[in-house]
Amino acid sequence: MAQPRVFCLVLLTVALGAQALTPSHHLSLSDVDRLKGLLSQPFTDLASAYYSIVGLSKLGASVADENDACQFLKAQLDPMSVDSLFFAAEASQAIADCEVSIFNETRDILLAAVSEDSTVTQIFRAVSALSSLGLPLASQEVVAALVARIAKEDNVLAITTALQTATRLSQQAELGGILEEIEDLAARLDDLGGVYLQFEEGLEATALFVTAAYTLSDHADTEPPLKEDQVIQLVNSVFSKKSWDSRSEAFSVACAAAALSSNRFHVPVIVSTQGPATVSHSQPILHLLVTDILSNPLASANLLVESAQAVASKSVVLSQAPFSLRNGIFELNFMASQPASGYYQFTVAVTGDSRLVANQVELKVKVSTEVAVTNMDLSVVDKDQSIGTKTSRVDYPFKAKGSFTADSHQNFAMNFQLVDANTGVELTPHQTFVRFHNQKTGQEVVFVAEPDSKNLYKFELDTAERKSEFDSMSGTYVLHLIVGDATLENPILWNVADVVLKFLDEEAPAAIQSKTLYMPKPDIQHLFREPEKKPPTVVSNTFTALVLSPFLLLLILWFKLGANISNFSLSPSSVLFHVGHACMLGLMYVYWTHLNMFQTLKYLAIIGSLTFLAGNRMLAQKAVKRYGQSSTLTFFTRSTCEN
Amino acid sequence: MSNSVISVISRFLEEYTTKTSNKLKVVDAYLFYILLTGALQFLYCLLVGTFPFNSFLAGFISCVGAFILGVCLRIQINPDNKGDFLTISQERAFADFLLAHTVLHLVVINFIG
Repeated sequence: MAQPRVFCLVLLTVALGAQALTPSHHLSLSDVDRLKGLLSQPFTDLASAYYSIVGLSKLGASVADENDACQFLKAQLDPMSVDSLFFAAEASQAIADCEVSIFNETRDILLAAVSEDSTVTQIFRAVSALSSLGLPLASQEVVAALVARIAKEDNVLAITTALQTATRLSQQAELGGILEEIEDLAARLDDLGGVYLQFEEGLEATALFVTAAYTLSDHADTEPPLKEDQVIQLVNSVFSKKSWDSRSEAFSVACAAAALSSNRFHVPVIVSTQGPATVSHSQPILHLLVTDILSNPLASANLLVESAQAVASKSVVLSQAPFSLRNGIFELNFMASQPASGYYQFTVAVTGDSRLVANQVELKVKVSTEVAVTNMDLSVVDKDQSIGTKTSRVDYPFKAKGSFTADSHQNFAMNFQLVDANTGVELTPHQTFVRFHNQKTGQEVVFVAEPDSKNLYKFELDTAERKSEFDSMSGTYVLHLIVGDATLENPILWNVADVVLKFLDEEAPAAIQSKTLYMPKPDIQHLFREPEKKPPTVVSNTFTALVLSPFLLLLILWFKLGANISNFSLSPSSVLFHVGHACMLGLMYVYWTHLNMFQTLKYLAIIGSLTFLAGNRMLAQKAVKRYGQSSTLTFFTRSTCEN
Repeated sequence: MSNSVISVISRFLEEYTTKTSNKLKVVDAYLFYILLTGALQFLYCLLVGTFPFNSFLAGFISCVGAFILGVCLRIQINPDNKGDFLTISQERAFADFLLAHTVLHLVVINFIG
């Protein structure tokens, strides 16, 4: 059950893998010149001398004045310093006939630097100086020291420097452990969008890593554990920057370029077109350049078109056709296969060297052609077909002799064909426009002519229907035919004829209308919400008095009934109760005018609790008084009854 | 027909003035006042319009609520109904009346705007 699924997964990965990555950046010839220029700047100290001399030698160039450089190295050398010895020794190796003098102590100083206690950089410089100066060194000891240092300094630059050191050791030494570091280091690279692979330490670190990895792999004769896609991504990262900040950065890029163009395992190849990738009948040959990343042409390469597929129709036009090499440029006569005009997707393969990486490249090639307008017939057709049509044939590039008149009862029609001038095949370009231009008013109306199923172009102008586009301006219109497309070499602008159009109702201010389109529009005044209509103050005042009047009535009624406050006991609780109650009513008024619910509730709680306690006391006293009265009454009644 | 209505009304009035105690008449006067106030507010609304509708509602509901509470108080303090309200003394009825009025007034003032 799992097998077909695994098979599908394998097929999917193979299918995805087939979409190989190709380098998007490399050093063009002008970039190489710029790099050389930066390295050729005059140097003031040994370090910059080293970068310039060795960097230029990697690019196959040399410093301006070699003798001068050699004298400079000898003069600046400090025989007690390991760094100084390193720079001088390495630089002098790059210059022919330049020998740096050594003393007896030199060897001791350099050998002393090779130990577990010095940094990796120190060990590297000492070992390189020893090997450049031709002094013997014990490779196994160096390996031991390097392994110990790598364990302590676990950063990218240190390990890269260790790799570089290993390239100077004898091939018999045990370099296996150090070789494994390449893979570990490659795992630390950051993948940016699947296109770039670089260290977060920057361009210099990545370039130095590339140099070290390939130099060590060549030295140890083991293929570096980098996949094809990784190599291309590294190429993109290292060569995307075209102007370098410092000499050491330029040096690292130069070393990386040299390593990638001449190592024994992976050589990325760049396939580019010379000029635009266009072929036509006048230029039938497609020129391609095959170079390495330094834009040097590859010596032993063969270029082959695996397939050329038309983008529009997906039909394969060419398959397995070889390019021929002439003066370092690969040529193919594509027009010989008689392709129709349009775009073609080319898949080319570079063969001839097993080291080539990214040797399958996809290119888009355009085949352009010339268009010719044939069978151009202009006619004025009557709408009800009562009068016969008047057709006249016009030949490109001439103009029709008479002018054509069309009023509201007639249609103006145009039929034509567009063919390929070389092959006679019918074409349907992107742009086929019919333009009417009124010379007097400057109006311009453009319509599109569309092809029917037989690729015959038809255009019909219904004067009555289209009068809004013309703003009903009658007059003479100059008719142009415009044909254009990306694959046409000769776009056409052809003054075909003059057409007199007559419209029924002529609206005069047509020109003004177009002007008012871009003038400021009239201001819109914001209408605020109208407040509701209120009754006049007199009415509301009257009704206020009216509503308050029953209170007077109540007082009168109470007076008549004899309600009084004679039973009012001046005990503290009743006084407090009445005061509290009055305060509560006053609080209601204050709530209406000033407060919000929360504040009111707060005050109400205080006043209310006081009033409640006082009221409770007062009412209890009243109740006691009342029961006391009624009980005496019953006692009196009972006692009288008993009697 | 109208005769019997008039006689009923006169009989009712006579009984009312003689039979009901003063205390209840005081409460009745208060209820009548509330009724008049509410009716006048309603009349205003009919005549002039409901412009500040929330104010009208607050006022009208205040009258209605006060009337209802007044009626409750009257029922509870009527000695003829003592059998129905054994646990509620007159003082308690009055206290309830005051508490309910406090809540009513709070709501009315909130709504009056």
